[in-house]
Amino acid sequence: SFGFFKSFIGGKQISTESLQPALEKMREHLMKKNVAKGIADHLCESVEKILIDQKTGNFQTIKNKVRQTMQDSLRRILTPGSTIDVLREIRQVRRELRPFAISFVGVNGVGKSTNLSKVAFFLLQNKLKILIAACDTFRSGAVEQLRVHVSNLKELTEREGGRIELFDRGYGKDAATIAKDAVDFATKEDFDVVLIDTAGRRHSDQRLMGSLEKFASLAKPDLILMVAEALVGTDSVAQAQNFNNALGTNRRLDGFVISKCDTVGDMVGTMISMVADVYGSEETGR
Amino acid sequence: MVLGELSRRLTSAMSALTGSNIIDEKLLDAVLKEICSALLESDVNVKLVGNLRKSVKQKVNLKDLPAGVNKKRIVQKTVVDELIKLVDPKVEAYKPVKGKTNVIMFVGLQGSGKTTSCTKLALFYQKQGFKSCLVCADTFRAGAFDQLKQNATKARIPFYGSYTETDPVRISKEGVDKFKKEKFEIIIVDTSGRHRQEKELFAEMVQIQQAVKPHQTIMVLDASIGQAAESQSKAFKESSNFGAIIITKMDGHAKGGGAISAVAVTQTPIVFIGTGEHMHELERFSAQPFISKLLGMGDIQGLMEH
Ligand SMILES: Nc1nc2c(ncn2[C@@H]2O[C@H](COP(=O)(O)OP(=O)(O)OP(=O)(O)O)[C@@H](O)[C@H]2O)c(=O)[nH]1
Ligand SMILES: Nc1nc2c(ncn2[C@@H]2O[C@H](COP(=O)(O)OP(=O)(O)OP(=O)(O)O)[C@@H](O)[C@H]2O)c(=O)[nH]1
Ligand SMILES: [Mg+2]
Ligand SMILES: [Mg+2]
Repeated sequence: SFGFFKSFIGGKQISTESLQPALEKMREHLMKKNVAKGIADHLCESVEKILIDQKTGNFQTIKNKVRQTMQDSLRRILTPGSTIDVLREIRQVRRELRPFAISFVGVNGVGKSTNLSKVAFFLLQNKLKILIAACDTFRSGAVEQLRVHVSNLKELTEREGGRIELFDRGYGKDAATIAKDAVDFATKEDFDVVLIDTAGRRHSDQRLMGSLEKFASLAKPDLILMVAEALVGTDSVAQAQNFNNALGTNRRLDGFVISKCDTVGDMVGTMISMVADVYGSEETGR
Repeated sequence: MVLGELSRRLTSAMSALTGSNIIDEKLLDAVLKEICSALLESDVNVKLVGNLRKSVKQKVNLKDLPAGVNKKRIVQKTVVDELIKLVDPKVEAYKPVKGKTNVIMFVGLQGSGKTTSCTKLALFYQKQGFKSCLVCADTFRAGAFDQLKQNATKARIPFYGSYTETDPVRISKEGVDKFKKEKFEIIIVDTSGRHRQEKELFAEMVQIQQAVKPHQTIMVLDASIGQAAESQSKAFKESSNFGAIIITKMDGHAKGGGAISAVAVTQTPIVFIGTGEHMHELERFSAQPFISKLLGMGDIQGLMEH
């Protein structure tokens, strides 16, 4: 009976006009879920390109086709081109008798220090030896914030093994140099991983963004993760682009950490905006 | 100017009206489309934008307009009225009174800039001759007290807080009582970041409020916030009934439309904006320049009286 139904209503060419109502609804839906307008426009255009000149029937069918095609596009965008198996990469780097370094970058207040501590927690559960480098030498309380996390995490190591220490040089000093010193220290002291915290910076601030390149070339992190919050709106796109470009010509971001997903309900569009625009970046989730 | 980029876009969208002789449905749709795009690209809430579009079309009602009326002016006025509704709730915020205790409590989402803005505001009032101080009621975030302490020390502002007390209600009450006795005029209470999905965090906020009885509660919003601004600010309004908004990080690239939506949804005015990480980077905000610019669109001041 389905076949009969299909032949009854189906068989029309899809035209630009017939697509518009469904695409318009889809665009609005994406924006309501906090996908940046530019990205929502782009996604809808590409769905239109795919569907144009295909055959289908009434409005309902077009709506379903648009939804299905959008779903496929989104799945493709959100599926990383490569995967990061941090534990395996750490083991590999440790064979070179040096520590694995991970740094966290991003705009102000997104959750860099908190997520760094969450990653430390995960690595400690895997019995690794962790050095946390306090390289936010600007924001008041940034060093003490990490010290509190380290002291809490130390209790965990007493129960489960592993080791965690804080490397800090107070405030006002050059972050890139401290990061490099921390990595050297960790090499000497046989730490497995160095987690490098950095100060929050506006992605439109040339001076602060410029210092990231020096940071990347001095500290040579194996993994640079950008932290972005799910709360952010259309600025997400420029954030991802500018941080990716700031690392210099030889270095890209290795992935995103999307924080504060618990504060947005089902408005998870930021994830799409962040990755849709940055070629080769991976979605690492929270 | 703040919101400069947005008003530039809006003005240019409206210029299509001035340039055209025939005002018909098609032109109106085109103008509205441009305006709505500008708003959406600035993170203004999608529903609010949709309502604005509908409301303008309904109020203008081109096809029923009698011949002879100035359609152009009617369209301009209607659009401007709707835009002003977005940014200007026409409510006055609380003004601290000299020689009296004024308790101001900060609330907001995690990382929005509360602690930084607390110090900025204390410094702002101190420079105006108020005896100002800070109370740290954030007992949750690691290093929160150190952050406030270091900021306050740099700004030479007395502060109160504790490394060991874990109850924010108790600590805020202690701090406010102490400073009241010492005849401070501006007492600013910093609280932890929270979000509507965690009911206990909101209950805690209300308890702190009951303990310190603020004359003013201020919600701090990050200029880059997107579509979640509406539901979060609405929930904060319902629980804390904040009477003013501070938008932070306006020095960035974000256009602040999410935060504007919070104004529209909660009918609460923006009083200050943060324009940097340093202590002095706080500016008073008034919706007026933005509105003047909008009023300038198509030169229609004369129509605004009623
Ligand atoms: N609800 C929620 N809050 C979070 C999350 N991640 C971080 N936060 C909170 O966000 C606030 C800022 O977090 P931080 O880790 O200090 O952010 P940061 O990026 O290091 O900030 P700066 O160093 O000042 O730029 C804190 O109150 C954290 O507790 C999350 O996933 N969910
Ligand atoms: N560029 C810029 N950064 C700001 C501004 N206001 C605050 N910040 C930065 O934003 C980050 C978070 O600010 P906080 O004051 O710690 O935010 P908070 O709301 O107290 O955070 P929680 O207590 O964790 O909820 C810090 O890195 C601040 O330096 C501003 O106006 N411009
Ligand atoms: Mg930090
Ligand atoms: Mg704070």
